[in-house]
Amino acid sequence: MTDIGKGELLQGTLDMLVLKALQLEPMHGWGITERIEQWSRQVLQVNQGSLYPALYRLKRKGWITSSWKTTANNRRARYYALTAAGRRQLAAEQQSWDRLSSAVNLVMRMAAAPESA
Amino acid sequence: MGALRDAAARLAGSLGRRAEEPELDEEMGFHLEMLTERNVRLGMDRAAARRAALVTFGGRERFKEEARDEYRSRPLEDFVQDLRYGIRSAVRAPLFSLLAIATLALGIGANAAIFGVVKSVLLDALPYADADRIVRIYGRMADGSLERSSLSAGTVTDLAERQRSFESLGHFYHTPVDVTYAADAGPRVLKAAVVGKGYFRTLGVSPASGRLLADADAEPGAAPVVVLSHAAWLREFGGDSRAIGRLFRFDGEAHELVGVLPPGFVGPMGDADVVFALDLTPALRDPVRARKQHWLGLVARLKAGVPSDAAEREVIALGADLAREHPDAQAGLTLAAVPLRDAMAGETRTPLLVLMASAGLVLLITCANLASALLSRALSRRKEFAVRVAIGAGRGRLVRQLLTESLVLAVAGGALGLLLAAAGLAALRGLAATALPPYADLSLDRGAVLVTAALAVVTGVLFGLVPALAAGRPDVQRTLREESRGSSESRRSRHLRGALVAGQIALSVSLLAGAGLLIRSLLAITGAPLGFAPGGIVTVPVKLPGGAYPTTEALMRFFEQLEERLRSLPGVTAVASTSELPTANMNRNGLAIEGVTWPAADGSPFIAYSSVSSDYFRTMGIPLRRGRTFDPTDRAGAPKAIVISEGMARRYWPKGDAVGARLRLGPGTEGSWAQVIGIVGDVRNDPSVPVPEPMAYASSAQETFGSRIFVVRTAGDPMAVMRGFERELKALDPRLPPGVPATLSSVLADGLAGRRLPVLLMTAFGGLALLLASVGVYAMFASMAAAREREFGVRMALGSSRRAIAWLVLRQGAAWMVIGLLGGAAGVIVVARLVRNLLYGVPPFDPVALGAAVATLLLCGLVALLVPIHRATHVDPVAVLR
Repeated sequence: MTDIGKGELLQGTLDMLVLKALQLEPMHGWGITERIEQWSRQVLQVNQGSLYPALYRLKRKGWITSSWKTTANNRRARYYALTAAGRRQLAAEQQSWDRLSSAVNLVMRMAAAPESA
Repeated sequence: MGALRDAAARLAGSLGRRAEEPELDEEMGFHLEMLTERNVRLGMDRAAARRAALVTFGGRERFKEEARDEYRSRPLEDFVQDLRYGIRSAVRAPLFSLLAIATLALGIGANAAIFGVVKSVLLDALPYADADRIVRIYGRMADGSLERSSLSAGTVTDLAERQRSFESLGHFYHTPVDVTYAADAGPRVLKAAVVGKGYFRTLGVSPASGRLLADADAEPGAAPVVVLSHAAWLREFGGDSRAIGRLFRFDGEAHELVGVLPPGFVGPMGDADVVFALDLTPALRDPVRARKQHWLGLVARLKAGVPSDAAEREVIALGADLAREHPDAQAGLTLAAVPLRDAMAGETRTPLLVLMASAGLVLLITCANLASALLSRALSRRKEFAVRVAIGAGRGRLVRQLLTESLVLAVAGGALGLLLAAAGLAALRGLAATALPPYADLSLDRGAVLVTAALAVVTGVLFGLVPALAAGRPDVQRTLREESRGSSESRRSRHLRGALVAGQIALSVSLLAGAGLLIRSLLAITGAPLGFAPGGIVTVPVKLPGGAYPTTEALMRFFEQLEERLRSLPGVTAVASTSELPTANMNRNGLAIEGVTWPAADGSPFIAYSSVSSDYFRTMGIPLRRGRTFDPTDRAGAPKAIVISEGMARRYWPKGDAVGARLRLGPGTEGSWAQVIGIVGDVRNDPSVPVPEPMAYASSAQETFGSRIFVVRTAGDPMAVMRGFERELKALDPRLPPGVPATLSSVLADGLAGRRLPVLLMTAFGGLALLLASVGVYAMFASMAAAREREFGVRMALGSSRRAIAWLVLRQGAAWMVIGLLGGAAGVIVVARLVRNLLYGVPPFDPVALGAAVATLLLCGLVALLVPIHRATHVDPVAVLR
């Protein structure tokens, strides 16, 4: 399962990505996977089935809500939307992700420097 | 157990699943379709696209299960898990669980039963509308010779005319009377209430059918009517409403049955089968009966907006006016208004509250006992908890689990306790019938059950809390390390347990002391001489209808013939008759002595009084002290003769010149003096009061009434002569109903029931407390000794003697026992104050009762100690140290 080309999701990041995907507008589960794949230019492949436990988990934490609506093609689907608490959580995760990723970047580049020097 | 557990788990899961499951299916189905459609767009054929979609999506069932785990309510699942665990761990330690459940059941059962009684007597609504707006008005002699006395017809009418506080008043004959009902199957005796105008209006009662008595029914010359109690209606007429409007014969006179009372109705005079109307006019016309005979009860309903204390003040003021206006009849007589419930609950309030408090103490002991038992168990499971903490259980979760475990025990104990309470109330219904007010319907009703359920839960939380908090703070590493070495328990928990045991001891000593005081005072009361010999005596009331026996001579002839016939029955050794048996509520008459003027403020004292046949004193076993008792010369027309008691002679003729003195007793005797012909021994009329009161007797030959109580002394079984009695009665007059016999001993026992009941119950509570505390002491020492087993083994191996080891165990626990006893001393002070009003002939700090309480407790404590000490001193060093 560890092919490098198609990126496996880092442990614990799925929740954050789902929140991010819902930031603009409510979306159904299928739409969320598509959006994450699009935004990551097909690099991140959401494990389709594991999305649903994640959605229920977020719902239980009170970060998203759900309601049944009809899609543009007139199909019934469950739409998920961010709650106020979800937006706060997204902001917090965004912040800590930024810190973490820049720290990881720093380390990775630093490691390369002595070799080039 | 497995099925139960599965059912609980399934229930918990399905609560959330039922709504979510289909939606989850639909949602995943939608996702798969979208995935399939994308694959089709990418050029696959439909079947391949579908297959690829399924592969991409992954294990559908697995994700569903994971999602389910997310939406399933966690607290509920945790609770179910705890519950399952609690039941399992209760089953795993059956001895502990049984002990805990039995202890709790006893504690809760005692409380629920007593609460059932308290509620029905003190809290339940009286069977009247807005009963808290009704008062009862009593008379009282300023010198205390009459308490809660009835009122005269004049007082009742004057009060009704002058008062402004009440919207309605109702008077009634102060006690139920016997009437003869001519049933189809033969004459029978029923209890009748006789009530005047306004009685039903004041009590606020509506009929179950027909109508109740109206004011017009109590007018002179009104047609005789009767109202039946609901129970009597069912019993006599099978609840047939066609009986209403028909005529029935009571005491030889036809009465129309006009209505039926609602079920559960009881009048302030007590239980009655039928109700008659009372016309006061003849009494008011008779100067003696109008003012000088006190025979009426009076209830009054407060006007809206009138506070009860204002009404009380008005009644007192009106009483003072009446006493001033009628100095000859009412000097020294005051009036008082008492809330009707207090009047009817009588003297049961204090004992009930004492019992309630005692039951509460038992429950406290129960809690302490269980807390320390659970603590012991928590200690022995320390390792288990440490392991759980080590593998990630939160502290709160651990505490919650322990609480659930104690709740499981509490609910089981509470359920069992409820059963015990129901059984206890059934037993009490028999024991306490005569000791409780007539309206009290002892039952375990919804309120009692609710309170009990609350008790069970509170107790569970209460006794679960201590061990839960102790366990919630485990030092994981140390525990795991130490437990494997088997070291003794921590100081902290040892102290906690010691304190719990000390508390139990303190509470038990207090309860035992209270029970001891009550037992001692009951013994003091029953031990005091009665003044007569009740054994072997049967009593039978006989009432002659006025119509058939119109003259005193006719009455006298009948009673004399009956006495004569009874005397010849086999097994009968003596026969007499009296107007009244010795009871708490004797008829009392005002006393006048030749040459003596009573202080105007007090008026004449009231003396207990009955008229008896010549053989009464011999039959009852009342000894003659001086002079003579009645003989055939004391007949109608002869100078009136009076026999008085020693106590009366001492009080009113302190110089010893009573015999031959002239006096008058009772209303309507003005102008003719009676003479004291003899002095007899004192008699305790009220078996629940240890000191006899002054008593006077007249001859029934000179004071003849239509009803008498026959007193028959027998050589063998007193009830065995009843067949002969009935035969002789029927031979003399076949129209008479058969008498309702009672042995004199049972009459006395009824009089004592009010005193015996609290003693019985408090002793039971004391015993229960003692048992629980002994178990507590045993458990403390046992686990203390068990915890130090290894140490004792080492000491033994090093040459320590058994005695030294026994001393070690004893010393560790004795300190807590001493603290408990000291605490008990404080408790005793509280209990002694509580029961002070119930004591007779015993000081509140009676050394015998207190000493016995402490000694009993120490004895039981020592017995409880024997086993642990034996175990500690017989530790096998080799086995322990290996």
